[in-house]
Amino acid sequence: MSITSFAFLCSFAAVLTLYYLIPKRVQWMFLLFVSILYFLTAGEPWLLFYPAAAITIVYAGALYIDGVKEQKKKKAALSLVVVFCLLMLIILKYCNFGIYTYNALAMRGFWGSGLLSTVQLTIPLGISFYTLALLGYLFDVYYEIAKPQRNFFKFALFGFYFPVIVSGPILRYRNMEEQLYAPHKMDFKQVTYGLQRMVWGFFKKLVIAERLALVVASVYGDYRTYSGFYIPVAVICFAFQLYADFSGGMDIVLGLSEALGIRVAENFRTPYFSRSIQEFWRRWHITLGEWLKDYLFYPLLRTDTFGRLQEICKKRFGKKTGKKLATFVPMFFLWFAVGMWHGGAWKFIVGSGLLHWCYIVGGELLTPLWKRIKVFFHLGADSLFLKAWQQLRTFLLVCAGFLFFRAESFSEGCRMYAAMFFTWNPHILWDGSLLTLGLDAIEAALAVVALIVLLIVSVLQQKEGIRDRIARRNIVIRWVIWYALLFGVILFGYYGPEYSAAEFIYQGF
Amino acid sequence: MKNAIKAMVFILLFLVMLRSLTYMLRTNGPIKDIFVGFYAEPEDTIDVVMIGSSPVYPCYAAPQLWGEHGIAAYPLSSNVQRPKAAVYLVKEALKTQSPSLFIFELRQFTAADSYMMTYYMEFSRGVTDNLKYSVNRIDMIRALVPEEDRYSYYFDIFKYHSNWRSLILSDQRTAFIYERLHPLKGLLIHEEVVPGEKKDYSDITEELAIPPEQEEVLCELMTYLKENELQALFIVSPMVLTKELTMQFNYMERIITENGGTFLDLNDYYEEIGLDFARDFYDGGSHTNASGSEKCTAFLGAYLEENYHFTDKRGDEAYAEWDVAYAYWLECQAAALETIEEKVANGNYDVGEAE
Repeated sequence: MSITSFAFLCSFAAVLTLYYLIPKRVQWMFLLFVSILYFLTAGEPWLLFYPAAAITIVYAGALYIDGVKEQKKKKAALSLVVVFCLLMLIILKYCNFGIYTYNALAMRGFWGSGLLSTVQLTIPLGISFYTLALLGYLFDVYYEIAKPQRNFFKFALFGFYFPVIVSGPILRYRNMEEQLYAPHKMDFKQVTYGLQRMVWGFFKKLVIAERLALVVASVYGDYRTYSGFYIPVAVICFAFQLYADFSGGMDIVLGLSEALGIRVAENFRTPYFSRSIQEFWRRWHITLGEWLKDYLFYPLLRTDTFGRLQEICKKRFGKKTGKKLATFVPMFFLWFAVGMWHGGAWKFIVGSGLLHWCYIVGGELLTPLWKRIKVFFHLGADSLFLKAWQQLRTFLLVCAGFLFFRAESFSEGCRMYAAMFFTWNPHILWDGSLLTLGLDAIEAALAVVALIVLLIVSVLQQKEGIRDRIARRNIVIRWVIWYALLFGVILFGYYGPEYSAAEFIYQGF
Repeated sequence: MKNAIKAMVFILLFLVMLRSLTYMLRTNGPIKDIFVGFYAEPEDTIDVVMIGSSPVYPCYAAPQLWGEHGIAAYPLSSNVQRPKAAVYLVKEALKTQSPSLFIFELRQFTAADSYMMTYYMEFSRGVTDNLKYSVNRIDMIRALVPEEDRYSYYFDIFKYHSNWRSLILSDQRTAFIYERLHPLKGLLIHEEVVPGEKKDYSDITEELAIPPEQEEVLCELMTYLKENELQALFIVSPMVLTKELTMQFNYMERIITENGGTFLDLNDYYEEIGLDFARDFYDGGSHTNASGSEKCTAFLGAYLEENYHFTDKRGDEAYAEWDVAYAYWLECQAAALETIEEKVANGNYDVGEAE
């Protein structure tokens, strides 16, 4: 059951009503019940076994770690549980990636031609999200940042919490503990704010993302015909599609959780306004970036191996440069993990991971050059031109990676680059050819208007929440705005029996 | 409390606007016009409601019945209308009208319901999605649509929202309360000509059972009509017959008459009607064109006058719109007959279109 489906919305309306009608002390139990029910109806019911097993193991592991005094035993328990959870994730999600990679190498004749067959495994929904959330909790207990939850069912709610289990954001137990189990009084503002955010999410998903998806699908589906300038157009459309899809999904998720009185972490902060790749990743899929930084990158920096490496680099390249160069190594693992998290495919590892590592390394190495260029052109840090250039540059660099993200495979992505650079057809930008990609002039104009609305809201949100701004207006203006948004979604959204079910791109992760 | 009231008003307003928006967005076309026209008729002014599939609305000219007999008739007809819909259409009609007679066209009773669901399910929307929102509409959807598909029928905005461009049409915008008088009282005039082959099976008296589910529907419908003391006439419109169809109509005739109903097969009266298969059909013998319609209506009008008691309401001020419709029909009909005449004279048939 997709969260954009009519059945889900009806069910949510019932859940919300019941949630505030039942005694407050059992609200969390009700949420657990609903969450399990949601998981059971969202896919194959037997897949519940996987998150249930992970939750049980992590729960027991955390209690054990908290209970024993010897560091060795703590470490052993931590390693055991982490290996178990990661194995489950790797087997289910990355098994075929290993087989594909082996076969690709084998076909190139490195060690014979005995190819392996791929395996068909049914993956539980949101495995990457709940695995990271559970492991984060375990690490927090290990590092004594969080106290373990002793009530198994309460902990199960953290693992199963239905708004986020399918597509995130990745929860931190320490941020959720109080909210999840606390009684929640019906707060009119909270509920309406939550619902308003959901409508905004639907606007992004159904009006923008699904509309742009047509253009993207046309070009990616036949890039040999739609070569040259069609490809960058499609990639830019995909960048907005992906953002509207993922952040729209987050708006729905965060909105419905907010309506339940539970605020979960933001996952986006207008990422396309970023002036550097580092900033982009602080604004895009924030919870993933923070998780990997806290539980992978920083621990790597603290390892003896890294310490030794840093010493070597310092000796060879000097204190400052050596330190910087040494950091690139754990950073490589960090970006490899970012790419891997998106899926077992090289297109993700390169497009969403290592390419960004290259950008950052390149950016760091070229810092002196940038400084000289800025001085030469008298560009101060506050220069509007500089800001605009940096934002555009960052956006285009991100798009360069997104080309792989949407491609069938890494090699297809490379072929698309070739098709882009070896065809010269700028005329398609103005001769109406773009209107053959699935959106006619009116639909394309509507997409542009919707993107402008998104841009305006994003700009306004830089200073203050848009809902607070609207809430200060008089009732007529307020209602007109919300009705306009509601009917905008109803009229211009892509949904219903004419369309295939609109799934979220990040739902598959 | 204040917030709760505000929320309720917000939701209520939303639902009212959504209802009107859906009415406007429902796909425009002759069937929508027929139903919107029916709802626009003043209360208790219709004498005869004609229910059935596509043979009805091009065949029986309500303005002609009015002009020649003073009978106000209106078709609640749609393409491939499944017989199951009939009882709900009767209930819908009774909400605003008290007709003295319901006429049911029987052609669709010969087809299996599963066949119509498999190949013509979209046409079920012709009835479900042309009714105003009501409990009766919900009941009809429950009867006609499989459970898993019902949500988009209950909330048909799910289907029609993509028609937003049609809001540019004034006809769509004026449908916001789903009431707009039909200029020809539900009639659709066809001026195409595709000759059919006249078949005579008048000697066949054998019977062939209709699909059991349709027999059940027919019996339930007759029981409902009897229980509610509603007068009904079951008719078969002119068409190119087959032996099997003739036997099925014989079968229905027996069931209907045994249950005290009245049955009229217009195929038994080609001579009396004056039906000419070379010029009176627009699709090779399934549906009549303007020429065939005029003849069938004249025959039906005479039959109704002879067998039922209707008050001639011509001259009544409350029916001024019907006089307008009749005048308009005369004008359209004359033009259509002229076109048909020309086509027949030149042998310029619309074969391609019919195919």
